[in-house]
Amino acid sequence: MSDVAMSESELAELHRELRVVARDLLRRNAAKAGPDQTYPTVDWSLLVDTGWLGLEIPEEFDGAGATFAEVAVVLHELGRAAASTPYLGTAVLGVGALGLLEAGAARDELLRAVAAGEQRPALALPTGDSDGDVTAFRLAAAPVSEGDQPGAGRMVVSGSADFVPDAAGADRILLLAADESGTPVVVAVRPTDPGVTVSDRPVLDETRHLGTVVVEGTEVDPGAVWRFRGTDPAASAASARRLLDRAALAVACDSLGLAEAMLEATVEYAGTRRQFGRPIGSFQAVKHACADMHVKITVGRELLAAAVRALAAAEDPAGPHDQEISVAVSRAKSYLGAAAVDIAGAAMQLHGGIGYTWEGGVHVYLKRALLGRSLFGAPAAHRARLAARFTAL
Amino acid sequence: MTIPTGSGGSTGSGGSTASGASVAGPVDLAEFRAEVQRWCRENVPSDWRRAQTGASAEEFAAFQQDWFQQLRAAGYAVPHWPAEWGGGMPVAQQVVLYQELAAHDAPRLVLGFVSIHHAASTLLVAGTDEQRRRHLPAILDGEIWVQGFSEPEAGSDLASLRTVARRDGDTFVVDGQKLWASGAAHADWCLLLARTDPDAPKRKGISYFLMDMRSPGVDVRPVRNAIGDSHFCEIFLNGVVIPAENLVGPVNAGWQVAQATLAAERGMTMLELAERLGNAGFRWLVDTCRTPGPGGGRPVDDPRVADRLAELETEITGLRALCRGLVERHEADTAGPADASVVKLFYSELLQRTMDFAVEVAGLPAHAELRKPASSGWESGAWVLDFIGSWEWTIPGGTSEIQRTIIGERGLGLPREPAASA
Ligand SMILES: Cc1cc2nc3c(=O)[nH]c(=O)nc-3n(C[C@H](O)[C@H](O)[C@H](O)COP(=O)(O)OP(=O)(O)OC[C@H]3O[C@@H](n4cnc5c(N)ncnc54)[C@H](O)[C@@H]3O)c2cc1C
Repeated sequence: MSDVAMSESELAELHRELRVVARDLLRRNAAKAGPDQTYPTVDWSLLVDTGWLGLEIPEEFDGAGATFAEVAVVLHELGRAAASTPYLGTAVLGVGALGLLEAGAARDELLRAVAAGEQRPALALPTGDSDGDVTAFRLAAAPVSEGDQPGAGRMVVSGSADFVPDAAGADRILLLAADESGTPVVVAVRPTDPGVTVSDRPVLDETRHLGTVVVEGTEVDPGAVWRFRGTDPAASAASARRLLDRAALAVACDSLGLAEAMLEATVEYAGTRRQFGRPIGSFQAVKHACADMHVKITVGRELLAAAVRALAAAEDPAGPHDQEISVAVSRAKSYLGAAAVDIAGAAMQLHGGIGYTWEGGVHVYLKRALLGRSLFGAPAAHRARLAARFTAL
Repeated sequence: MTIPTGSGGSTGSGGSTASGASVAGPVDLAEFRAEVQRWCRENVPSDWRRAQTGASAEEFAAFQQDWFQQLRAAGYAVPHWPAEWGGGMPVAQQVVLYQELAAHDAPRLVLGFVSIHHAASTLLVAGTDEQRRRHLPAILDGEIWVQGFSEPEAGSDLASLRTVARRDGDTFVVDGQKLWASGAAHADWCLLLARTDPDAPKRKGISYFLMDMRSPGVDVRPVRNAIGDSHFCEIFLNGVVIPAENLVGPVNAGWQVAQATLAAERGMTMLELAERLGNAGFRWLVDTCRTPGPGGGRPVDDPRVADRLAELETEITGLRALCRGLVERHEADTAGPADASVVKLFYSELLQRTMDFAVEVAGLPAHAELRKPASSGWESGAWVLDFIGSWEWTIPGGTSEIQRTIIGERGLGLPREPAASA
């Protein structure tokens, strides 16, 4: 992170500019999508050229030295466009994990390679509702067999994670693993390593690329085992938890963006489509449904802003503590996950038959909203986390 | 940091001020919070709920006046007014004040509500200097106001109001009937809308008056409401004489002036109400959920109850941020035309959902709470009455349906409904 602090208004201006540019780029990109494809694809070169990949990478490694607050702006715009891109797996989760690790030659080199667009990491972490265990992989000392070199310290890693964003096509898979003492660490493997299988996991939302990562007894040398900053077990567990929060919040940013896009499309359509001799938007049933969409978006935007502020300030010693961040994230994720589905569903309804066509494209948003609602914790799972504060005595 | 925006220009570099320094303003918020907490511990009467339960109208009014003067002495009565009139508290500090008043279960300013919000904002936005000088200090001394807008035939369609004011030299003479006027029985003054040009289009023939409730020809009759109180009233007006200097704004421009008062009701008053909901209403709801029921189990241990609590708390958090944002945008003059409607609609319906849930969780014993204390607004903890009382927020000040129409038309730019035939 840069040491130059910005004032709130400078930051707001910066975000505005980033947003305008991103929106414009994505719109122009959308025009390029093929006739059968109803969403834009943002390819790797665009992510590299825009510098979005390296937003959170420190300047010393050729990144922009920005924070999650700026990444959130990009995520929001990608959601608005329902863009298909490996941004989530790579820049948000991969880079996010690397940023929480102890500095080290291998990690630093990977960061630099990502900023340059030469390497594509993905992060394998639990994607569902499990709250207890945040690590999906186990790390253990390799069994010493007869002919081994003494003291090589090789380890084996095993486990699996499903629905991993942008796993297929990644050059490096970062496994969130528990070491022998149960402390979370990150183990870097390649898809070509013996015992590692990365496969596509097709989902109905075609804009997302999820994968299954299975690791069976893959041997790694100690240089591939990266520890979280602070190294002590409690701090490492908090960092692992932070990664899950980051993942959930990233999806919430996307949900807000796509909900906004659906409301705008609906308002525009309701202003032009006429029935019974008047625009359908002049009927209260339609108008009031739009008003409800707007209220949900407005509330969700506030919850999201609070959570993004909290997560972006996580490294600040005077910033919020872990519990506050998690609470803010769970509020945003539970609210927006549900709201985006409601809003995309209402958009389909208010567009009538055209809303149900493949070509119309509302289904793209509805499917993305539905996947986002489940990914990294369904609303009920996040509310269970929130409610734990009320049940405790 | 250097952020590539792709636009070529360099952004976000150079000397910048330390972030966060300007937000809190000159007063340290933590210090202010401690000050309010101390004040509350010393000044909030511990037994006021018991004393106000079953209180007579006179006891209620006397208690409200006392409490108002106590708040005033501390500088807490009208923090949202401009500094020159005795307010000027930064929004961040107001939020703290309201949080602590709620957390300490302080009485609400129910009687002075219209005076410090609707009357004051009308005078500040559209009143003359003379009118402000006459009434703003008087309000601080306890002058009570009522809003006389609605009529039997003019509710949501306020512009069709029929009360007439005829010009007669330096005065106007008013005849008609007002309905649902909250607190009229205690009021010294009335914000009155009356028709001054019967031939003009509906909205172009209305004027806005300040009417002395002691004037001959004013007759107030209480109407019992759904929770059994007689807070709102009918006002009959027979040949009431109002001096022309009590006009607010030009003749026949009353509709525009009324928008100012309605905006206050819809938006600005919510800052305190949202903090009450978060710091008093919701807190009590959690208590209720943690109180073992007849079977010994706590409602909160039912995952469905826990889930609803988490959902409501999330929405209340969103509401509080929304209210604060609205007040800040209002002060910076950047609020959108339907922003206040969004807050009013979301607040009132969220309040209703929350109270509904509280009634469900509290079960039969809540139905045996037959009375609630006066001076508490909705947040009495007598859940059934509080739930029924929540319609006091979804109906007045523009019903929820009207708010949705405003949001759709003014906020989103959707086409208007075709005008009904007159
Ligand atoms: C507790 C309380 C306190 C009040 N205090 C005051 C006060 O101090 N001063 C004052 O002047 N007034 C006051 N009012 C009056 C309040 O402003 C009106 O009740 C309100 O504006 C609704 O008008 P109405 O009662 O005539 O209902 P109506 O306008 O007849 O409405 C009945 C129903 O029809 C719906 N409806 C009406 N028009 C439309 C439309 N165009 N589109 C869709 N739906 C529509 C409404 O939403 C409502 O559901 C108070 C009311 C209450 C309940």
